[in-house]
Amino acid sequence: MSLDERASLDRRVVVVGAGMAAARLADALADAGRHVTLLGDEPHPPYNRILLSAVLEGTHDPAALELGVRDTVDLRLGTRVVDIHREEREVELADRSRVGYDALVLATGAIPTLPPIRGLVRPDGRLHEKVHAFRSLADCERLDAAVGVSTGSTTAGSAVVVGGGLLGLQVARALSVRGLAVEVVEGGEHLLRSQVEERAGRIIARDLTRLGATVYTGARAVRLTEDGLVLDNGYTLETDLVVLTAGDRPSTALARRAGLEVRRGVVVDERLRTSDEHIYAIGDCAQRGGTVTGFVPPAWEQAAVLARHLAGEEASYDPGRHVVRLRATGLDVAVLGDPVHAEGEVVEVTNPVVGSHRRLVVDGGRIVAGTLVGDLSRIGLITQHFDRGTVLGANEPGLLLMPDRATAAAEPQLPDDAEVCSCAGVSAGAVRACASLDEVRATTRATTGCGGCSDAVRRLLDTRSTLLEGTPR
Amino acid sequence: MTTRTHCPYCSLQCGMTLERQGRSLEVAAWPEFPVNEGALCRKGWTAAGLRGHRERLTTPLVRDEEGGELRAASWDEALDRVAAGLRAAQVAGPDAVAVFGGGGLTNEKAYLLGKLARVALGTSRIDYNGRWCMSSAATAGNQAFGIDRGLPFPLADLEHADVVVLVGSNLAETKPPAARHLDRLREAGGRVVVVDPRRTATADRADLFLQPVPGTDLALALGLLHLLDAAGAVDEEYVAARTTGFADVRRRAASWWPERVERVTGVPVAELRATAELLAGSPRVMVLTARGAEQHSQGTATVLGWINVALALGMPGRAYAGYGCLTGQGNGQGGREHGQKSDQLPGYRMIDDPAAREHVARVWGVAPETLPGKGVSAYELLDSLGRDHGPSALLVFGSNIVVSAPNATRVTERLAALDLLVVADIVLSETAAMADVVLPVTQWAEETGTMTNLEGRVVLRERAVAPPEGVRTDLEVMAGLAARLGSEASFPSDPEEVFAELRRASAGGRADYSGISYDRIRAEHGVFWPCPAPEHPGTPRLFADSFATPDGRARFVDVEHVGAAERPDEAFPVHLTTGRVLAQYQSGAQTRRVRDLPDTGPFVELHPMLADRIGARDGAPVVVTTRRGELKAPARVVSTIRPDTVFVPFHWVGANRLTHDALDPASKMPEFKVCAAAVRA
Repeated sequence: MSLDERASLDRRVVVVGAGMAAARLADALADAGRHVTLLGDEPHPPYNRILLSAVLEGTHDPAALELGVRDTVDLRLGTRVVDIHREEREVELADRSRVGYDALVLATGAIPTLPPIRGLVRPDGRLHEKVHAFRSLADCERLDAAVGVSTGSTTAGSAVVVGGGLLGLQVARALSVRGLAVEVVEGGEHLLRSQVEERAGRIIARDLTRLGATVYTGARAVRLTEDGLVLDNGYTLETDLVVLTAGDRPSTALARRAGLEVRRGVVVDERLRTSDEHIYAIGDCAQRGGTVTGFVPPAWEQAAVLARHLAGEEASYDPGRHVVRLRATGLDVAVLGDPVHAEGEVVEVTNPVVGSHRRLVVDGGRIVAGTLVGDLSRIGLITQHFDRGTVLGANEPGLLLMPDRATAAAEPQLPDDAEVCSCAGVSAGAVRACASLDEVRATTRATTGCGGCSDAVRRLLDTRSTLLEGTPR
Repeated sequence: MTTRTHCPYCSLQCGMTLERQGRSLEVAAWPEFPVNEGALCRKGWTAAGLRGHRERLTTPLVRDEEGGELRAASWDEALDRVAAGLRAAQVAGPDAVAVFGGGGLTNEKAYLLGKLARVALGTSRIDYNGRWCMSSAATAGNQAFGIDRGLPFPLADLEHADVVVLVGSNLAETKPPAARHLDRLREAGGRVVVVDPRRTATADRADLFLQPVPGTDLALALGLLHLLDAAGAVDEEYVAARTTGFADVRRRAASWWPERVERVTGVPVAELRATAELLAGSPRVMVLTARGAEQHSQGTATVLGWINVALALGMPGRAYAGYGCLTGQGNGQGGREHGQKSDQLPGYRMIDDPAAREHVARVWGVAPETLPGKGVSAYELLDSLGRDHGPSALLVFGSNIVVSAPNATRVTERLAALDLLVVADIVLSETAAMADVVLPVTQWAEETGTMTNLEGRVVLRERAVAPPEGVRTDLEVMAGLAARLGSEASFPSDPEEVFAELRRASAGGRADYSGISYDRIRAEHGVFWPCPAPEHPGTPRLFADSFATPDGRARFVDVEHVGAAERPDEAFPVHLTTGRVLAQYQSGAQTRRVRDLPDTGPFVELHPMLADRIGARDGAPVVVTTRRGELKAPARVVSTIRPDTVFVPFHWVGANRLTHDALDPASKMPEFKVCAAAVRA
């Protein structure tokens, strides 16, 4: 470690944003004894954003979302950063006050994109009262209030979810579970089109329909009117609520204004450094090697790497393998890697009748991508193989997609040498040689250990009596 | 003649009677003893099988030169040789002699061994194989509850719980009579959850079976806590009134959502949710951990993670609910309470506590400042043998290190580097075979002493038969050594006399035995510690009113999942885990020699998918390699194990040549239960 790097340990780290990536970074820095300031524009301490749809669904207590940060972190909530003064190494807040930094980290996340639907925004610039975004806890609370309790007076009865991606499906299921009539509008030809191939998308659509929602694919919402949401296929969907989940984009306005290199996201190198050596970016706002991730695990990995880097250690970020899981009651979907584009041999088992579809892309014996819909019983093993790059045998990918062989329904007649009592090491023949349970206990000690063989011993004695007496019991 | 005693093996310490007729000794049931109610497993029924065994040692053995043969010697010659060797070693300082004990030793032996080390030898270098048993649970129990007693309630309480969660315990095979309590629980409508990478005989009794990747039990606990909190199942009133530290733990759990846990543990979300639902809806939940959860480099944190689940549900201290550790070794509990552990004095007193030193020194009749300080843990101790500034002489009582130590090849090299290795044992174990002096000692049924079972119940094993000519009790050996070393402190060899001294030494300590006597044990089916006075009834159940912490509250400890020290990679692509089989016990020094117990030798359990991948056939040999060693053994192809994991039982030389020596930072438990391995046909 050079003198410069050693001095870096005393530097002030300021993080713009107080989301999941920011909280992770702050905790790691605080654990290393570093001073760190978090500037978050939301009024809440850091919380687990990815569970918001479960809160909406009613299966997750909102109080249990809070991630918080260590007590030693200088956490400033409701604080919006309006400018970065790179020369002075200061950020300017909405109230014109300034905060100096030695290292600045942008963790500004993403913002929902507004689809081109006329009537979404009212003349005064605010969203139409029926229209909801779903990114923040405030969005979730507002939508939750609009849905109301099922017996309440303010209950909305129907909703249209615009966007058939991960978030859209989760919100759609959540609203269905809450008792609303839900319609999903997806502009692409199938659901989850960024993640899965068409066949999987179609099966997911069937599953969703089976669960009570209506799905329109290949249809765009174009206008919101008094009558409802008008689609480009001529339908008008009457609805109490419109929820926008049709994607989001990295929040880069601050970086752009500061003159940092921005493409889709804020461009960073393998150490998460932007085009300014004092400024870093992590999480949904950052772009590394052409990709913006949009998921928590890579954002946390980036936070860990950056924490090490800021502590003067060698660390670099290597985008790993992704597993995307849909979080919605009754809708089981997992996507490993990029099954749409991954190259390799495809092993596939599909049963649209029961709504299951499992597909692995295998390259050189390794699972490089996969789609699991409906039946996730083997997911715990498949993701392990995927994450570890395990080289599988020729039959294995196929076996992984088949159910475990059903256990034989009928109990076969035990041969005399089969062990019945493992505690005492007693065979079926030795039990059959006894006349009664007492004799079994006294001469073989079967049933005198864990007692697990009692039933089997009784059955063996019963068959014996049947044979002896010649009459069924 | 009939003698009531207890089984020589595991921590249940099943009650049994021994009938002596002439020369024969027969094991019979003792139905009134509540832990096992007359039931025994085949190890118990055949326990007398070592008596009169042709391999039984009946004379001391000495080795005259390195590489030479062991030859018979008189007791005087052997003990003189040992004393001279110890004195020679200690020219370099008192810590040049190390002492290694065992969790199978009676309380009296464990106590006197600690005294021998601290007083007669003045060495701080003492530890024991119990460090490799339940030390992670012990450390966690102390941190969370302020006390370390395996079960804070009698085992039979299991029958009255609503849900019992077994994390890394295969009690149906490792302590079969305990499974009866599970069966009764289920007959009464209770549920059982089993967490194990293998679907064991215990898992076959489970209503819910979770099969995580080895080394991820902590992530599983965090994930369950997450779901319980999300469902509003946290007992807020209990948490506020009886605990501290929940806020940090709750925040930690918030970042372990089910899909993340699924990815790390390999347990599908649906199974996590089903488990959380079961726990959330049950008024009496009992969480029990065993070696599967504890023998990890994160063993202490893992146990704390499960304790956090129990605390969040408001269970510890509630009747028929709470957290407990299913201790493994026969006297794993008592063995850690009376001074074999490098940092402890009798009565579970800490050796760096001045008041504790003062008290024990007074009982021993020595000045407190003469007592050595804290030593080092078992593996660290063994790894320092024969090195610069490390011990050059080692006394071993009741342990077969060559088979049971992790990374055994390295440890065996250290034993070979000693100037003097002394082993007291009943047969020529693999470790005794390396010794310079072997001292033949009495076995179970030939001697009297107390054991403390997994419930904290102190029981009495009574002598039923005379030992063979030529052997001495461990207590006599220690007394003989102390005398030769010129110690002025008393080293009684009568067990009841030693116990009387142990009672005084433990008085006022956390594990207070001062009110327990042999007569009370006989009359009361054992006595539960703490028992601070003769008229005190003993303490079958702890925590009803308060915990043993300074403020009386249990502590939530904020723990984070890190994972195994060594994980699969290209060269070593599967997990290796180890464990026991029903018919054998620990290093097998006893059970492998009992004729009526099948000695199958080691085997490699693997899943048909993995077998198919490597071309292995059931019964044909496969080779397991790790960065530390290699084992060739027959394959057992079973669909009950995770396909990314192989299992090898550790009763034979071999398994522990493979295992990893990464240590838990708090308990110093080695990571026996997971490392990266390759397997080929």
